[in-house]
Amino acid sequence: MDFSLSNEQRHWQMTARKFADQEIRPISLARDAIADPSDTFDWEIIKKGSRLGFRTMAVPKEWGGQGTDFVTQALVMTELARGDSAIAKTFSQNWKWSHLISAVCSHEQKERFLRPFVEDDTFLLGKGISEPSAGSDNRLPPVDDPKAGLKLRAERHGDEWILNGEKCFIANAPVGKLFFIDARTNPNVPLRQGTTMFLVPRDTPGFRIGKVFNKNGWRFYQNGEMIFENARVPNANVVGQVNASDMKSKDVGDRSGGDIFGDLELAANALGVCLEACDQALRHARTAKQGGQVLFEQQMVQLKLNKMHMLTEALRAFVMRVAWEHDQKMNSGCAALAMNFSSDAIQEVTELNMEIHSGAGCAIDPAADKLVRDAQIWTHLAGDSVQRMKAARRIGR
Amino acid sequence: MYNLHLSAEQLEIRDTVRDFVVREIRPVVLKADRLDAGDRRLPIELVTKASHIGLRTLALSEASGGAGADTLTCCIVTEELAAGDPDVAAVLSQTATLAPVLFEQLMTHGQRERLFPAFLADDRYHLAFADDEPGNDTALGVNYHQPAATAAAPKTTAVREGDTWVVNGVKSCVGNAPIAGLFAVQVQTARSGVSTMLVPAETPGLTINERDPKTRRHHGCCGELILNNVRVPAENLLGAEGQSPISARVAGPRVPQLAALNLGIGRPAYDAALDYAKLRVQGGRRIIEHQAIGTKLAEIAIRLEVARAIIWQAAWAADHPGARADHSLSELPLATIAQVFTAEAIYAATKEAAECFGAMGVMRDMPLQKYVHDALLCLHSGAGTGDARLHIAEALADYRRAATPMLAAE
Repeated sequence: MDFSLSNEQRHWQMTARKFADQEIRPISLARDAIADPSDTFDWEIIKKGSRLGFRTMAVPKEWGGQGTDFVTQALVMTELARGDSAIAKTFSQNWKWSHLISAVCSHEQKERFLRPFVEDDTFLLGKGISEPSAGSDNRLPPVDDPKAGLKLRAERHGDEWILNGEKCFIANAPVGKLFFIDARTNPNVPLRQGTTMFLVPRDTPGFRIGKVFNKNGWRFYQNGEMIFENARVPNANVVGQVNASDMKSKDVGDRSGGDIFGDLELAANALGVCLEACDQALRHARTAKQGGQVLFEQQMVQLKLNKMHMLTEALRAFVMRVAWEHDQKMNSGCAALAMNFSSDAIQEVTELNMEIHSGAGCAIDPAADKLVRDAQIWTHLAGDSVQRMKAARRIGR
Repeated sequence: MYNLHLSAEQLEIRDTVRDFVVREIRPVVLKADRLDAGDRRLPIELVTKASHIGLRTLALSEASGGAGADTLTCCIVTEELAAGDPDVAAVLSQTATLAPVLFEQLMTHGQRERLFPAFLADDRYHLAFADDEPGNDTALGVNYHQPAATAAAPKTTAVREGDTWVVNGVKSCVGNAPIAGLFAVQVQTARSGVSTMLVPAETPGLTINERDPKTRRHHGCCGELILNNVRVPAENLLGAEGQSPISARVAGPRVPQLAALNLGIGRPAYDAALDYAKLRVQGGRRIIEHQAIGTKLAEIAIRLEVARAIIWQAAWAADHPGARADHSLSELPLATIAQVFTAEAIYAATKEAAECFGAMGVMRDMPLQKYVHDALLCLHSGAGTGDARLHIAEALADYRRAATPMLAAE
């Protein structure tokens, strides 16, 4: 066993840490505090990060990206998330779909989409799956209800597909330039057999962005509705095969049914939040006083700090193991378990940080409060019962 | 005798308040602009309407013009009000709790003659207790199991000049400060020991700064008092000089009213999750028919029922001291136990309820995140549940502290 990082991995880790400390953290709380969810975003931090390579981490070098391995990606996400979880996610959301482009798009599609993505510091990616009546049904389609799941309809007309319907809760929708859209191409068969994935540029006729969702956590990370009214998408934008949209796992080499990058991504981001919570708690415990002594002197506080660090280090071990397994093409249910665990760990660690900050005064500590709100996002993304049952089914299959 | 039947009066009060919440509170507070915790003003007109039906004077004796409600009844009312809006509940619960203490138990006949009529006549007249000061240390913490080395005297001073007291200082985290007509202010005089001064809100020299609702860790409303050469008549000293009859600093709450408020926060979260689970179809059936959601709702129901059981027991114990004297009930600090259990149970319950809604559970224009936030405030109010556990631990060991609290302190 060898836990040491390569020089390149360490270099990326240090670059990300410096960027998080010098650029991300200084704007984090102010962005979080902005009331209008459309105004929390900041293109300057995206451009700065993009110039350092944080937008194109997962694009292969031959296409002009950074071509980093999963271990590096995990390290960088963790460091960026220490500065701000939502800003880190805005960057890594692009990696998720870069992986997909590399794995399943044709050479011609890569020329048309991957090249401009790499060249433009403000080119962000997203993917539309969820719909108002289809959340859990997309993740875990019921065997006894073939109609369940997304409803966005795509019909072929000559060289084009006509899309009608809507998507909701779509990350990067308000700021993205290109989206992968899952649509029903055969509404009479179960989801997995009747859905096709399309590349839909933002300026597609008949396609527009609706409201921006007002999330209580991850305020910076934009999330919106998508509306398709006779949106016209060329047949050349079909990704892979018609009626075979479920590619993000098996076509990138994972036969265990998971989302090879997405699971790791949420776990690694949570690790960054946990590390930040530990830093905040330790700093507070070493400086704030009660009864003339620093809080750290109290057993109660030491026990909380112990639990925070124990969970955080366990999560770090789990995240790095999954990242390494991905690099070795050893894919297993562990990735999903790491994501589920990250949801539990981030709740407990951020809440303990909040507890350590309670006490004197009548104000909420805004930094501790932000971490708690960001952590709550995990409860429906990474730690809800569907994500846990999915993981169990992968193990039990 | 073990008997959980509520009296006809208690049932009537509960149903009246429940009806008030449905008719008056819900339509106002469930609007999007009240759901964002960062942008929330006290709906004072609702507080006034609630006062009008007697909730401000609930615990005053009938002879004084109140309803003569006991602790259990007050807890039931607070739970119902908080199920509508915890800020409204907090404001009324504080005034209703302070009113009998100040006007019926502690004031002299003369003080009552001067101050009570204005209170009784005005539905907008609230009461506040000003104890905390900036930077003071109210946690038990390092003083666990030993006499408080830091039992600091108030920095707010009262100096006698002829027939008046001249009060100077700053008080922070004063609940109800922005709307109170009368403050009981903890001060230091020339004599050792803490004294309590009655300071009407309109007294010259008194400035009240409301705390921004965005940052407060407190339901209701709170603020800072700046007392700059505030002059009150000599007769405004409450109790004896150097022997304040009110002390909230020590040993946690005597009645579980904050726990009842906290429980009220969990109720609409549970109701919303249950309603949604009966409507939302995923996986080919209503989500309540899935084990994963069904057991989550069961978990929330367990937390609410157990919390109510311990709150009612603590309230009933406060109303029936004899039940402790004859060892029918434990001598442990039941109100503190109720507060700790409820804070943790309701925070978990609101998060579970939010999870039933998926992504909608974290949206600011939806009520679920408000319930989670409101429950979080209870969990971290005062010095937190960890500190409350230290108080319980001292009681287990029969460790006795000097002062006896008169008020439900946070």
